[in-house]
Amino acid sequence: MSMSKPPRVWVSNENPKAGEILRVRAQIEHPMETGLRTDPATGQIRPRHILSHFEAKLGDALIFVWDPGTSIAQNPYIEFTFKARRSGQLHLLWKDDQGATLSASKTITVS
Amino acid sequence: MTLFSPRLTRRAVVGAAAATLALPSVALAQAPARIALVGPLAPDPVAFQQALAQFIGSATPQAEGLQLDIPVLADNPSAVPIKAQVTLPITDQDWCEELMVLAELNPIPLACRIRFTADTGTAEAAVRIRLSQSQAVHVLARMKSGKVLAGKQTITVAASGCGM
Repeated sequence: MSMSKPPRVWVSNENPKAGEILRVRAQIEHPMETGLRTDPATGQIRPRHILSHFEAKLGDALIFVWDPGTSIAQNPYIEFTFKARRSGQLHLLWKDDQGATLSASKTITVS
Repeated sequence: MTLFSPRLTRRAVVGAAAATLALPSVALAQAPARIALVGPLAPDPVAFQQALAQFIGSATPQAEGLQLDIPVLADNPSAVPIKAQVTLPITDQDWCEELMVLAELNPIPLACRIRFTADTGTAEAAVRIRLSQSQAVHVLARMKSGKVLAGKQTITVAASGCGM
């Protein structure tokens, strides 16, 4: 059910000048079940199921890592900035605590 | 026959009545009426202090250099926007290594950790968190040089976002 839809990714400028600050906004669909809720039908605790890791790489260089906890809202949204020093693929990778992954990439061409 | 015992004078009765009237209003002025959450949504002050102490280490947190953009009133406690930016100069020698968001009264206070690298060149991030009740949200940042920046913002929420 979760992690099946493609991520929504927005980059402020895919053809930046060298040294320009780029902004990335990305969101996926994920239930972010805290493990603190009781299912009213069964009376059982719904097991924790959260996004536990996100990382962004420009080419081979790691530029951003996010380790969310249970307090992160459903359908986790992340926004960050980085300095565009060189061209390359911007790889975004999401991993949840059940091992499911999602990825997206954007081509950044620095002029 | 006397209705009142000798010690229960009119002055004592009026004084006691005034005191009981005055106390709740003082308590209300200090903190808004709040029902303490129990069960799975109860706060975990030990975990909060541990996370805080572990991140700060032996450093002395400073307020300057960390700019927060956090609402005072959250209209949707299930998704409260939290934005943080380190405004200190980010250089190849000194950059922000790690950023942490803590919701003081959430059942699991550590909302998220964020790491930057020397290749990032900036230190800014925005996330959306959920809050179990009105509380202070703390953001801490650690620079490569060991400097720790800290800021917080008290957020008032209308309803709990953790049971949603």
